[in-house]
Amino acid sequence: MPLFLAEMLEVGVPTIDEWVVWAILAAPVVSWLLIIAYLRKLPAIAGYATILAVGVSTVLSFVVLFNVIDATGGPVVFSYEWFTAGSVVVNFGARVDGLTAVMLVVVSSVSFLVQIFSQGYMAGDKGYGRYYAHMSLFTASMLGLVLADNLLMLFVFWELVGLSSYLLIGFWFHKPSAAAAAKKAFIVTRIGDLGLLAALLLIWARGGTFQIDEIHQLAITGALSSTVITWFALGVFAGAAGKSAQFPLHVWLPDAMEGPTPVSALIHAATMVAAGVYLVGRFFPVFEASADAQTVVSWVGAITAVVAATIAIVQTDLKRVLAYSTISQLGYMMLALGLLGYVAAIFHLFTHAFFKALLFLGSGSVNHSTNTFDMRQMGGLYKLMPITFATFLIGSLSLAGIFPLAGFWSKDEILHDAWGHDRVLWAIALGVAFMTALYMFRAIFLTFFGEYKGGQPVDHHDEESHFHGDPAHPHESGWVMTIPLIILAVPAIGAGVFNMAGITDGLARLLTGALPVPDLHEVSFDWWVAGSSTVVAVSGIAIAWAIYYRRVVESSALRDAFYPLAVVFERKYFLDNLYEDFIARTVLQRWWNRLLELFDTYVVDGAVNGSATVTREVSARLRVVQNGQVQAYGLLLVAGVIIIVAAVFTANPL
Amino acid sequence: MNALDVVGPQLIILIAAGLILLTEGIFGRYRRILPYIALAGLVASAAWTTSWVIRDDYQTIFDGTFSLDQYAVFFYYVFAGVTALVVLASVDWVDRVGRRQAEYYALVLTATAGLMFLAGARDLITIFIALELSSIPQYILAGWQKDRRSSEAGLKYLLLGAISSAVLLYGMALIYGFTGTTILPEIGRVIAAEGEENRALLIVAVTMLIAGFGFKMAVVPFQMWVPDVYQGAPTPVTAFLSVGSKAAAFAVVIRVFFEGLGADFISSDWANIFAVLAAVTMTVGNVMAIVQSDIKRMLGYSSVAQAGTFLIGLAAVSATGDGFTLGASAVLLFVAAYAFTNLGAFVAVIAISQRIGSDQIADYSGMWKRAPLLAAALAFCLISLTGIPPTAGFWAKLYIFNAGIHADLAWLVIIAVLNTVVSGYYYLGVVRQMFLGDTQERPFRVSPTIGVSLAVTTAGVLVFGILPAPLIDAAQEAVQIFAGQ
Repeated sequence: MPLFLAEMLEVGVPTIDEWVVWAILAAPVVSWLLIIAYLRKLPAIAGYATILAVGVSTVLSFVVLFNVIDATGGPVVFSYEWFTAGSVVVNFGARVDGLTAVMLVVVSSVSFLVQIFSQGYMAGDKGYGRYYAHMSLFTASMLGLVLADNLLMLFVFWELVGLSSYLLIGFWFHKPSAAAAAKKAFIVTRIGDLGLLAALLLIWARGGTFQIDEIHQLAITGALSSTVITWFALGVFAGAAGKSAQFPLHVWLPDAMEGPTPVSALIHAATMVAAGVYLVGRFFPVFEASADAQTVVSWVGAITAVVAATIAIVQTDLKRVLAYSTISQLGYMMLALGLLGYVAAIFHLFTHAFFKALLFLGSGSVNHSTNTFDMRQMGGLYKLMPITFATFLIGSLSLAGIFPLAGFWSKDEILHDAWGHDRVLWAIALGVAFMTALYMFRAIFLTFFGEYKGGQPVDHHDEESHFHGDPAHPHESGWVMTIPLIILAVPAIGAGVFNMAGITDGLARLLTGALPVPDLHEVSFDWWVAGSSTVVAVSGIAIAWAIYYRRVVESSALRDAFYPLAVVFERKYFLDNLYEDFIARTVLQRWWNRLLELFDTYVVDGAVNGSATVTREVSARLRVVQNGQVQAYGLLLVAGVIIIVAAVFTANPL
Repeated sequence: MNALDVVGPQLIILIAAGLILLTEGIFGRYRRILPYIALAGLVASAAWTTSWVIRDDYQTIFDGTFSLDQYAVFFYYVFAGVTALVVLASVDWVDRVGRRQAEYYALVLTATAGLMFLAGARDLITIFIALELSSIPQYILAGWQKDRRSSEAGLKYLLLGAISSAVLLYGMALIYGFTGTTILPEIGRVIAAEGEENRALLIVAVTMLIAGFGFKMAVVPFQMWVPDVYQGAPTPVTAFLSVGSKAAAFAVVIRVFFEGLGADFISSDWANIFAVLAAVTMTVGNVMAIVQSDIKRMLGYSSVAQAGTFLIGLAAVSATGDGFTLGASAVLLFVAAYAFTNLGAFVAVIAISQRIGSDQIADYSGMWKRAPLLAAALAFCLISLTGIPPTAGFWAKLYIFNAGIHADLAWLVIIAVLNTVVSGYYYLGVVRQMFLGDTQERPFRVSPTIGVSLAVTTAGVLVFGILPAPLIDAAQEAVQIFAGQ
């Protein structure tokens, strides 16, 4: 069955004024500086400054996008020498091509809507000004990450993204759970960052360049050995796995839900977590050159998708369902990248950003009137919050992949690629599609249907709480919150038009034009793939309806029937126990501290110890000399010399 | 006259020291101007150095024992800057102690002159004398406060320093005995010509040099004095020790080993020694820093760990760049970045401990609410010490790791990167305490002098974090004198 038709694209150079590109990055930087400077005097300006700045970035991002479309996604680079390190020239530059343009639009437009939504959600919070300062910094870092034309600059912004997300997750730092979540996110993502750092050092030493297009050429021409390419690709993927929450580094993302909900919508749905997928896409030619790296990427993605989807089914917290769903969908994108489905993966990133941001903001809207994310305390909200319900339903249908919403088209393209490459992975992807429909509609039936269970009563003694509503009588949120929901619902429905298999291929042309060898793989519409995915999605919804709406069987009875599985899912495959209880508490804290104690007692105390002196008398000074510490030092010094000499002679005899 | 012109940057600092002593003797009432005399002396010294840079006429004097070259000039600037910042950060503390203010500033300046002589010394005897000239004032300064800990620190530093000097001198004597000269380039020539059959002797000598200098560099296993002296000495003095003294030790070690002991058959041996010591030093320093509850002790162990990172540059002697030695330039870059960063951290600690009277990390809780700028500056310096962009510390670490990779020391770089992660735990632990901890204590402001030195250091960390080019260029140019070796 011929699946792909290859066509070499005619790619041009976009005609963009340089200031437009830099202004996209500069606008949020300026608002950040403004907020910092006037934070104490005028905290009220923070929100407007950020909205205005990100609004400017959004408009200019669209300008860039239209220009890049004219050039079929071809690249243009504005680059300046930053400094020279050794013989390597490092640039500070912006690379604008199809991939960049798509990411710019996603990041700035979602950020823009989230900033508006936050005006309502964060109103009255003590940290209002600080919140917008962090948001500006985050948006600027993310835009810089997307624009960077070389790996080193990308890494710098990558770390800044990590830092600002640390600040945002721990925003309500008086809550111990938020502080812990921020720390966890920072540590876990940094483990992945080590891989990226290793890749950076490797390409510096072996390739002698950081420029992205030169690295592409190194991979295409085979100038570097396949071992180096593979290790480089795996290092890049490790970084991507940390930020994009891939198994087994996904554990930070659900905890990160402790941050304010708009933060979750921006960072943990649309932008930062997508940065990993973007990174792999950015270095796609390198992955194309390494079959081993492809296998790792696709299987890690597949495992992530399955693990997260199974956990999402048993969550009781609405936001955590969305968190695990995000992890699962990111796994989906990685799976596609591993199967060389570059266009499919970025297409799904694109549609997912909109419908997942919509879902997160929807959950925030629900939380705003019920004071809880616990679905067991909700129910029946569809009458009380009609706009939130309608938009949430649209987001869920899109996520579940129901024709003709945006999610259908992007998910279908991934399934299509999987069908063509690896039937095992296709079957896994199909299973995940089923579970996606199931957990999303479980959430919908629990949240919006049935009886309202009262929400979470307001604790008036909690001064830090910023909740002002009345959970006993939930109501629709104000327009600052509902309008972003409505706006986001539009792309959640229609973003598929940019790349409908066999009908339109605008996005594919745009993205493919960004590659060094821009040959377009046209994807034909396959009734068998589309039909099977629709059948599983609809059956997922039907089963959710049967269990959680009609209550054909009690969900507790189901849980008993699948008891061992349910426990594994509920305990998140025991990974948190492994990391936190075993590795962190037992190995690192207990065993390690014991070791350090021994070291301290026998080595440090035994030799030199400042607190060893006893009296305050003048003679104490002499006693220091006499109590043997100085002699011990002399001995140690001589021993050190002897050991070094002996070691050198042993290692390298005369 | 020419010789006086060449050592002018040092002389003018010594003159300032004399002036300070005279001023207090004659105009005792005008004590307030003492630190400003010191600053004026440092500025004049830097200006004199700059005149040499403009003249671009570097020369060697005193029969080849002392050399003013672009390498020495790099360190002149570092030392003048470090000392100026330490003087600024000392003003409040010296006022509070009250007694012997002139002597304090005079001793700091004398030590600085010694450090600058070290940077230019090209002869074993000159090196030794310069080392003592810088060390003896530091012994006194460490014991400046009349309390138990400070006295103990001073005495311990003196005694252990004396032992190390003895070992160093022994190593130098062995080298002299073998080569018949004390001048580094000539030592290099003799060793290259006829050293190979006497490798055993040279290795013993090299090891003794490493042990002697290792004391100043605070390299394991010669670091035992560090935590006690750092904790016991007055904090401004600790800042000076941890930055100035350490930088000078690396300056002289690079010169001795690259110029005097650069022959291939012996450099591969000492490069291996440095590589192993680097791994051990980083690991021990970081592991011990984790368990400290006193911030000065923590910074002490952290400076041990940083010394291990410095050593990677020495171990990477075989890595060459475009006409310069990659490893050596990495050390210089690290010296400058570390100087700004560590000084910034210590200045913040000085400011905080003056207010809260404690060096316990637990007492830093909620510092964000009490002094937001101070907390932000300290946090920024700690982020730089961890090596996270956009800070000077990030570029320094990246550059030194690159030198390691180029010298095929991938194993060492891996250990270093892992150590970076470990170090993040305790550096960011302080940040967490300051920003996420809670406090009921009242806010406070810092004094203008401390504010200025904190602003300068933090700005340095940030500016070189965003625009590292000038610093990298300077470091690469400075080590070009070793290119012909």
